[in-house]
Amino acid sequence: MASTPGGPQTEESPNGFSLLSNGETLETIVRPKEGLISRRIFADPEVYQMEIERIFGRGWFFLGHESEIPNPGDLVSRFCGVDPAILIRDDDGVVRAFLNSCRHRGMRVCRTDRENVRFLRCPYHGWSYRNNGDLVTVGAENHYGAGELEKDRLGLIPVAGLGIYRGLIFATWDEHAPALEEWLGDMRWYLDIIFGRTGEIEIVGVPQIWEVDCAWKFATDNFTDNFHVFWTHQSLVPLGLLPNFPDFAAHGHMVTAGNGHILHFVQGAPNDETFMGLGLEKPLWQHFPKHLNSGQLDIAMRHAYSAGTVWPNFHWLQLTSTGDTASKPVGILNLRLELPISPTRTRMYSWFAIDKAASAAYRKASYENYVRTFGPGGIFDQDDMENWEDCTAAVKGPAAKRYTLHHKMGINRKQASDWPGPGVSYPDSYGEMTQRAWYDQWLRTMTTPLNGTNKQVPA
Amino acid sequence: MSAPSSEAAAVPVDCSPSSALYGDIVEFLYREAELLDAYRFEDWLALFADDIRYVMPVRTTQFRAKGSGFHDVAFLDENLVSLRTRVERLQTEFAWAETPPSRTRHYVSNILAEPGATPNEFAVRSNFLITRTRADHGHQMFTGWREDVLRRDDAGGLKIAQRRILVDETVITGTNLSILF
Repeated sequence: MASTPGGPQTEESPNGFSLLSNGETLETIVRPKEGLISRRIFADPEVYQMEIERIFGRGWFFLGHESEIPNPGDLVSRFCGVDPAILIRDDDGVVRAFLNSCRHRGMRVCRTDRENVRFLRCPYHGWSYRNNGDLVTVGAENHYGAGELEKDRLGLIPVAGLGIYRGLIFATWDEHAPALEEWLGDMRWYLDIIFGRTGEIEIVGVPQIWEVDCAWKFATDNFTDNFHVFWTHQSLVPLGLLPNFPDFAAHGHMVTAGNGHILHFVQGAPNDETFMGLGLEKPLWQHFPKHLNSGQLDIAMRHAYSAGTVWPNFHWLQLTSTGDTASKPVGILNLRLELPISPTRTRMYSWFAIDKAASAAYRKASYENYVRTFGPGGIFDQDDMENWEDCTAAVKGPAAKRYTLHHKMGINRKQASDWPGPGVSYPDSYGEMTQRAWYDQWLRTMTTPLNGTNKQVPA
Repeated sequence: MSAPSSEAAAVPVDCSPSSALYGDIVEFLYREAELLDAYRFEDWLALFADDIRYVMPVRTTQFRAKGSGFHDVAFLDENLVSLRTRVERLQTEFAWAETPPSRTRHYVSNILAEPGATPNEFAVRSNFLITRTRADHGHQMFTGWREDVLRRDDAGGLKIAQRRILVDETVITGTNLSILF
C-alpha cells in the first residue's frame, strides 16, 4: 500500500508560515523522522519559491576554493545561494565576495567567468569599482550635484559574511547567520580528513558546469545515497568496473554531523592497499599523521570512499575507482554543487581537486579517472542524471504530489559504538539516516521565520 | 632548401576541396556520422587509430583578447581503451542514460583539410551540430567544431588519430554527454 502523510493535519504554524495553498502545512507533509517526504516539495513552484527565500536567501553557501584565486585581483563568477556573486582576492590579498550587480542600475559588472582585475567597470554607465568593492569613478560624474552621489556608500554590495575552512570559501547573505565554524560544527572534523589530510588540496583548472531538467533536491539527495550505486551504475558491473554483488558499498559508516551536514565512509576490497588511505597514492599517506589526529587517521586509512554534504547543496566525493577497463582504481576528489534554476531545472558544478603533495603520475591518473567517471560525460554520473530527470518528471502532477517518497531504510538501526568521530554514527552505509537528517534540516529551515533577509536594506 | 628525407616535403599533399583526397575525407566524416546515428558503435570504434586522443575541453566565457576560453580540464578525455569502455557500456542493458537510446542526428559541415605533420596525416576541421531527442523530451543541441587528425592507414583507408571537440557552450545545457561526438 502506498504511504501517505496521514495523521491529523492541524499543526499549522502559529503565523501560518508553513501553510501551503492547498491547506496543508510543511510539517504535515514532510516527516523526516518517520522517513516520509512528500513528493510535493520537489517540483512544486509554490514550495520552490519558499525555498528560494528561506534556504537560498540565508545560510552558508560554497563559492569556491582558495586555490582558484591565488593572486591579488583573481576573480571567479559564482553564485552565493542563487544570487550571482563575484569571488575575488583584492590587492591586499583579502578574499571578498560581492553581489555581481552594479549599485546604479543593477547591471552585472563582471560578465566573464574568471579574470584578474584591479578594477571592475560596469558597461552600462561606467561605474568603476576597485577589487575591494570600493566605488572609484562613475560616468558623467560632473553632472551629479552636491550630495547626489554618496560614493563612499555605493561600493559593490558585499556578502553579509565570508568564511574559509580548509581552503573552502563559504559566504552568506544573512547578517544573523552563526559564524561559519560554528555552523559547520562537528563537520569540521570530517572536512579536515577530506581537505586537510596531506596539508592542502587544490582545484585543478575550472569546474565543469551543466544543466539538468531536474528538481535540485533529487540531485542533492543522491550524494549520500550509497545503495543506488549497484543498481544505477549496474552497466559497470559486466565491465568489471564495479564488484558483482549488491552489498559491495555497504561496508562502512554513515554520520549525521548536525545542522543537516551528513557523510559516509565506506571500505573497499579488504586486504588490498589500492583501497586503503582513501585510494591516494601510497607516498601521500606519510603526510596523514602530520595533519590528522588518531581517530581521523584511523578513518582515512581504513576507507576507500567517502561522500558528504555540507548543508544544503555542497558535496564532496572521495572515490577509488577507474573509468576504463585497463586502469587500476585510483583515488579521486570531486567537489559538487547544485544551483537551482527553476523548480525543474538545476545547474551542476563539478570540480576536480588533488592533494598539492601528489606526484605528477598520480595527478594524471586521478584526473583521467575523474573525467571518465564523473561530470556530464562520466560513465558513472550520466546515469544519475537520468534518475534525477525522471524522478522530477514523475512528481510534478497533482496526483503524485499527494504521495510521499520512501526514506525509511535503517530507521530503527542502532547507533555505532566504535566510531572514532563526532556526530551520530551508524554502522552499515546502506541506509537513509543521512537523507532523513538532511530533510530534517530542510524542514527546520523552511519553518523558521525569516529574520529580515527578505526585507529592504535601508538605502 | 635541404628538406629532411620525407616524401611530404618532396610531394606536398593536395587536400584542397577540388582534390580526390578531400572527397575521401568528406565521405569518411559523413559515414562516421551515419554510424553514430545508426547506433553502430563497434563500427565507429574501428575508425580510430590505436593512439587516439579524444578530448572535449571545458570552455569559459572570457574577453576575446584572452583567447577562446578552452581549458586543460575537459568534459571528455579519452583514449582507445576508454572509448571502447564507453561503447561496451552502451551495449549492456543497464546504461540508463542511453537505455532506451537517445535519437541523434550528427550534422557535419564546413569541412576543410590541410596537410598534417606527416605525409600520411591530414588536419581536418569541421563544424558540428548534433541534435538529440530522448524519450518524450524535445530537442537538445550540441554545437561546435572538431579539429581532427586523420591518418592514412596501411590498407589505404583513413583513421582518426586525434580529435578535439570544441563546444560553443560554457554551460552544457543538454543534461549529459552520454552520446558520442
